[in-house]
Amino acid sequence: MSNKLFLLPALVSAPSQNGVGRYVGQLQRVVLKFCKNNGSSRGMRDFIESGLVNFAKENPGVVVYLKPRRHRSPIIKAEYLNGDTQWMSVRNFPQEEILKWLTLLNTQAQCHNGQRLRRLWFTEHPSIQGPWTPYTFRDPSLNLVSFPIEELAQPKDLPKSSEEELLELFKKQKLQEVESKRAE
Amino acid sequence: MVFTSVVNFVRSRGPDEFWRKRKVFRLAAAFQGRKRNCYSIAIRYVHRALVYATKGRKLKKIDMKNLFETRVQAACEQHNVGYATFREGLVRSDIMLNRKTLADLACWEPYTFKALTDIAQRKAVDDGLLDLKNADSLDSTITRGIITDSVKPK
Repeated sequence: MSNKLFLLPALVSAPSQNGVGRYVGQLQRVVLKFCKNNGSSRGMRDFIESGLVNFAKENPGVVVYLKPRRHRSPIIKAEYLNGDTQWMSVRNFPQEEILKWLTLLNTQAQCHNGQRLRRLWFTEHPSIQGPWTPYTFRDPSLNLVSFPIEELAQPKDLPKSSEEELLELFKKQKLQEVESKRAE
Repeated sequence: MVFTSVVNFVRSRGPDEFWRKRKVFRLAAAFQGRKRNCYSIAIRYVHRALVYATKGRKLKKIDMKNLFETRVQAACEQHNVGYATFREGLVRSDIMLNRKTLADLACWEPYTFKALTDIAQRKAVDDGLLDLKNADSLDSTITRGIITDSVKPK
């Protein structure tokens, strides 16, 4: 698929059950490129002055690089432990937004650009009792049997035939006659 | 001969044409051939695709409802309970499960689903919805109504 605009379907995943036991932040390093003078980097410069040191202290596992580059738009580039890289332009962003995006990149495990999530949940064990099979509610003794079987070939709820009903009526009548004779 | 004034006659449509058309190409990324690569052809099919998507939102709900119903019906017929009886019995036992959950249980937790059919059958027999020949097999299932009805204060 060389079409770069096609969204690849992906499932929700955590690398090797990250978070089930210990949580390891998947962001390896972050590069903040900015211009020292241009107005589009103002938010970035403000963030570097105020919020960056806190961010770096709170996330000791993330290496933060600053690259002042003249006459260029400000950019955040993130690299993850699985080798993914992601860059995003923060041109004209206020410093709060830059912090917000940085937190997002920090909590991600991989770059999700160009992916569409098929389902918002994922489980390796969708069934506890075992999924339904055609044999779940079948009598296992049927494994050792040779077909055809007369009893199983009959319909389950056969209504009474008229012959049987007449026979029953006849027997009832006979019984009544005998009892009335006895009563006499 | 260098014609320098010819260049002046080129009318630029604007700098954002690439990105304006890219928004359309993103939606046409899964199409075939020229519908994917040529703008004036792609825009027509993208419009149709968007219309289908709008109509499909309603149809998807209908289709999924039918699918779940088919699955639940097949599952409860295996336990000799009709779909209508099953749902009525569950609702009367205060078990408000929707079609989706019932279908998921039927596929992934078949024994739980069997227990639900038992409850529904028991309730239906007690309320007179169902006429069973051998209702003794249901004695192991107890619903709330039985206990409150049989244990009356003296």
